[in-house]
Amino acid sequence: MVNSNSDALGIIFPNSYDALVPELVSERLMASIPFASRYRLVDFVLSSMVNCGIDNISLIVRKNYHSLMDHLGSGREWDLVRKNGGLNIVPPFANRHVKVYNGRVEALASILHFMRAQKQKYVIMSDANIAMNFDFGALIKAHMKSEADVTLVYREEETPASLVANRESTESMYYTFDIDESGRVTKIKTNSADAGVQNQYMSIAIIEREKLIDMITDGHIQGLIYLERDILANRLEDIRVSAYKYEGYAARITDVQSYFRENMKMLDEENLDALFSGPIYTKIRDDNPTRYIAGAKVSNTMAADGCVIEGEVENSVLFRGVKIAKGAKVKNCVLMQDTVVGEGANLEYMITDKNVTITANKELRGSDSFPVYVMKKQTV
Amino acid sequence: MAKEMVAMLLAGGQGSRLYALTEKLAKPAVPFGGKYRIIDFPLSNCVNSGIDTVGILTQYQPLVLNEYIGNGQPWDLDRSQGGVHVLPPYQQASGSDWYKGTANAIYQNISFIERYNPQYVIILSGDQICKQDYSDFLKFHKEKDAEFSVAVREVPWEEASRFGLMVADENDKITEFQEKPKEPKSNLASMGIYIFNWDVLKKYLIEDEADPESENDFGNNIIPNLLRDNRRMYAYHFNGYWKDVGTIPSLWEANMEVLDPEHSGINLFDDDWKVYSRNSGMTGHRISGDAVIENSMITDGCRIEGNVKHSILFAGVRVEKGAEVEDAVVMGGTTIKAGAVVKHCIVAENVIIGENAVVGAMPEDSENGVATIGFGVYVGDNAKIGPNAMVNNNVKDGEEEW
Repeated sequence: MVNSNSDALGIIFPNSYDALVPELVSERLMASIPFASRYRLVDFVLSSMVNCGIDNISLIVRKNYHSLMDHLGSGREWDLVRKNGGLNIVPPFANRHVKVYNGRVEALASILHFMRAQKQKYVIMSDANIAMNFDFGALIKAHMKSEADVTLVYREEETPASLVANRESTESMYYTFDIDESGRVTKIKTNSADAGVQNQYMSIAIIEREKLIDMITDGHIQGLIYLERDILANRLEDIRVSAYKYEGYAARITDVQSYFRENMKMLDEENLDALFSGPIYTKIRDDNPTRYIAGAKVSNTMAADGCVIEGEVENSVLFRGVKIAKGAKVKNCVLMQDTVVGEGANLEYMITDKNVTITANKELRGSDSFPVYVMKKQTV
Repeated sequence: MAKEMVAMLLAGGQGSRLYALTEKLAKPAVPFGGKYRIIDFPLSNCVNSGIDTVGILTQYQPLVLNEYIGNGQPWDLDRSQGGVHVLPPYQQASGSDWYKGTANAIYQNISFIERYNPQYVIILSGDQICKQDYSDFLKFHKEKDAEFSVAVREVPWEEASRFGLMVADENDKITEFQEKPKEPKSNLASMGIYIFNWDVLKKYLIEDEADPESENDFGNNIIPNLLRDNRRMYAYHFNGYWKDVGTIPSLWEANMEVLDPEHSGINLFDDDWKVYSRNSGMTGHRISGDAVIENSMITDGCRIEGNVKHSILFAGVRVEKGAEVEDAVVMGGTTIKAGAVVKHCIVAENVIIGENAVVGAMPEDSENGVATIGFGVYVGDNAKIGPNAMVNNNVKDGEEEW
């Protein structure tokens, strides 16, 4: 191949699993949740795709997508301002016959015309609830070699408790597989309560574009909703589904606790290096470097640019533009963009959303297993 | 499309007094203040002042600068009309020449300026750290009905003889120009920032070029010629922060002043006057449990395990365990290994300071040199670099350099 482009179209579903983190998505969606001091979750899957030469990427949004549009803009930071392909945000096209989609079949049915007009041979689908540095190039290669119709990506882990707790609802569907020795998926289980380590689907799938178009066209006519539950799981005999195991670093957000935990894991340099093994792009804010004023005391902390720190910070993740005043103490906290902590305030096990202000001398405390969350733009 | 004012930014200087720092790049590309390069200041000033057409005149070692400017997007200067243009000397049917002087650089680009048919041209210098509203300067120029205005600042009388001085009357009208005079008649130093009416500038550039005796320099030729002809010339007083960072000590000092915005006047935290730059795209910086940070600026991508005091660390700097960094300017991608001591110095990009090496020293008595380590230099383990050293080549383990 002359250029480094991949022969695949990227499709991202940025609202998937919104229901698991109602606090964090009250004014946004899963994909635009801030993560790891200066990123949003979507940056990881988007950058991974771009780094593998996928430069035609569509995001099919469902609701609450203003923050995502603002974050992505024209897609310049991801090098996705292209004449051919580039970034394509697909909002719901509301008319009498169309309702907001629930599953991938419905979502993809709304862009069938677009998919038919593209030239790439493959389509790669992904959600945006997992921060990882994924090698899509290797996935494409493995899929081509396997001669499967569809390849699904999984990793071996126990099903997160918050998913099992919601298994009776169809809002946050999850899937586990049985796989034979050849790597073929023999069974797809929906919302299974099986205990122990499972082959846990990561919502990443690759399929030939033409085959996907046929599958969605037929499925949609029959009123099907979910690609995995309604099509793949029922047709494993005639659709050859192959499994691809991911063994790299992954931070999956399934509830507020895991959000806190996965941010905290960034304080371990091994995790940090694993997640940032390839470049991850994000929106540029043109902040100045972070300033530590005399009197500041900082240990085991990750901070982005634009912070001003005069107080004490320990075991915390600070996003861009956080201000911590004199005499304030911040311990085991995740403070999102532009949080202001007033003089003498004392915070422990807190998550503050964007633009939160903690006034002087306030004492706020959560616990290790239950960090307390303060909503966007609130003043405490 | 006509533009009211076009900016021409002189960025071709070698900056020879920055020695090791400008060996491989032009002075305007020298990193500054944690995540900027010097040229970010005039470029950001342009954008913040509403100027969207900028010509950057390059000549000396332009590669880093060219790549950095790119399409001008970080400064919002990627415009379909105007925008930023890098202008190196080029071959013409009549022959080709390097830029012989500041005025000649503009002369050679008359056709660039003509494309925009401006009323005014502002000449900027690419080697100053300054936050200035050029629109206010233009307002002054118009109010005075001037043909030429120069930005000046008051300097202490005892230092005045080091500068090009404007002697002006109570209406700010310039009556005399003194270049580094022994007996100064004024303490208004030229900042090297001029606004010209374009028709006037063009006329004098063409005349100047025709004069074989001329050095083709604004200060030495164009301004004296304007005075000779009694042109309407005015001095615009600028009181904000301004620093010529042409020498190692002044560059170091300006960086240190960034650490004290409350007193120094150079506030990079100003949301109303942002300084834009090309970002590293690195992840947030990490301060480990053993690190001690005091009164410093730390940029994305840094990993700090040692002690950092009153210093500026650019993107991606690593300070290992037990290393001590004080009063230092450490540029991007540099690694300071375990136990090294780095003080009162400038360390350029991508340098490796070996274990237990010593670079620079805090001032003692009259000894207050700023040690300087050039780009990509490797300083071996246990090596020692004296406070006045200027290091351009690798230093072997255990060796000393003074």
